[in-house]
Amino acid sequence: MFDGGLTSEKLNVLTEIGNIGAGNATTSLSVLLHNDLRMEMPVVKILEFDDIPELVGGAETVVSAVITHFTGDVSGMILFVLELEESKNLAGSMLNKKYDEGFTSFDHMDKSALKEVGNILMSSYLASISTLTNLEVHTEPPAICVDMAGSVLDLPLIELGQVADNALVIDSKFMDKDEPIDGFLMFVADDESYKKIFTSLGLSF
Amino acid sequence: MAELIKVGIADWKLCSAPDTITTIGLGSCVGVVIYTMSDSFCGMLHIMLPSSKEIKNNTNRAKFADTGVTDMVMALEKRGMRRSAMKAKIAGGAKMFQFSTKSELGTVGDRNVDSVKAKLKEYNIPIISEDCGADFGRTISFNIDTKMLMVRCAGRPDKQI
Repeated sequence: MFDGGLTSEKLNVLTEIGNIGAGNATTSLSVLLHNDLRMEMPVVKILEFDDIPELVGGAETVVSAVITHFTGDVSGMILFVLELEESKNLAGSMLNKKYDEGFTSFDHMDKSALKEVGNILMSSYLASISTLTNLEVHTEPPAICVDMAGSVLDLPLIELGQVADNALVIDSKFMDKDEPIDGFLMFVADDESYKKIFTSLGLSF
Repeated sequence: MAELIKVGIADWKLCSAPDTITTIGLGSCVGVVIYTMSDSFCGMLHIMLPSSKEIKNNTNRAKFADTGVTDMVMALEKRGMRRSAMKAKIAGGAKMFQFSTKSELGTVGDRNVDSVKAKLKEYNIPIISEDCGADFGRTISFNIDTKMLMVRCAGRPDKQI
């Protein structure tokens, strides 16, 4: 994918989709968290799978990852990845609880809260693609996993390593009061899906 | 100075004492170590998929259980390891995400483990110990002197197998 190089025009389009998605997500999350969230401009980049764990500090860093498959005109998978400490802040803020220092595993409620945030972020991004392009995108129920970044990211690698070697990473930062929620969305789709997105926006692929 | 040899995803490497060999963050992937009791070197493989025959894009042979095991066994033999003395330890093949919808991919970990076992059996290489399946990731490292495989997981005690 993007072997011919991604033009800055296309990257701008993907960034703009990211902006709109993040804007929608901020509104929804503010309601969910009963807080005024602020959003920074997301940074959009194309990364090789192997380099993605570095975004969170390496393959052994523990992260929470919410993953959803989507189908329709555009198909692939999308993940929301957040470091453990920030996952604790986020779940704690939603459930009004504090986690111990040496805490090792989230319970069902914690995971459910994190899954919902991930779901809102991912759905917002997918909805903005769908709105801008008039393409149909259906999301499937999400799943969550909390573990080492390397082990969490090998499923998308396996699933889409067959059609793609790189992913679109939307690095977004939200501020909940003064606590940053600095996660990233990882969007993986095949060539055919990208082609439809760009073509429907009047760009050649 | 002893070094730490890192094996990436879809890769295999050989390692000689006193160096240690490791691979980080096995999820549904499987790590395979092949060694003997007498040799002071070993090989470690990190495969992603069960079979090279199911996929068109199969130029990287280390990605697959079937071709990856074969290539590493050949390389070890070339280096002087006797096949009849070879032993294996394996880890990984977890199911990281529990999807509510049924998906072929949910079982890729199991299929990876099965495929590695079948290939090792074909070469008559016994599996001395294994830590496979469940729903958590693993980082493994092999000590050539003690022949022990250290398995580290997030939020769980380390174990040696």
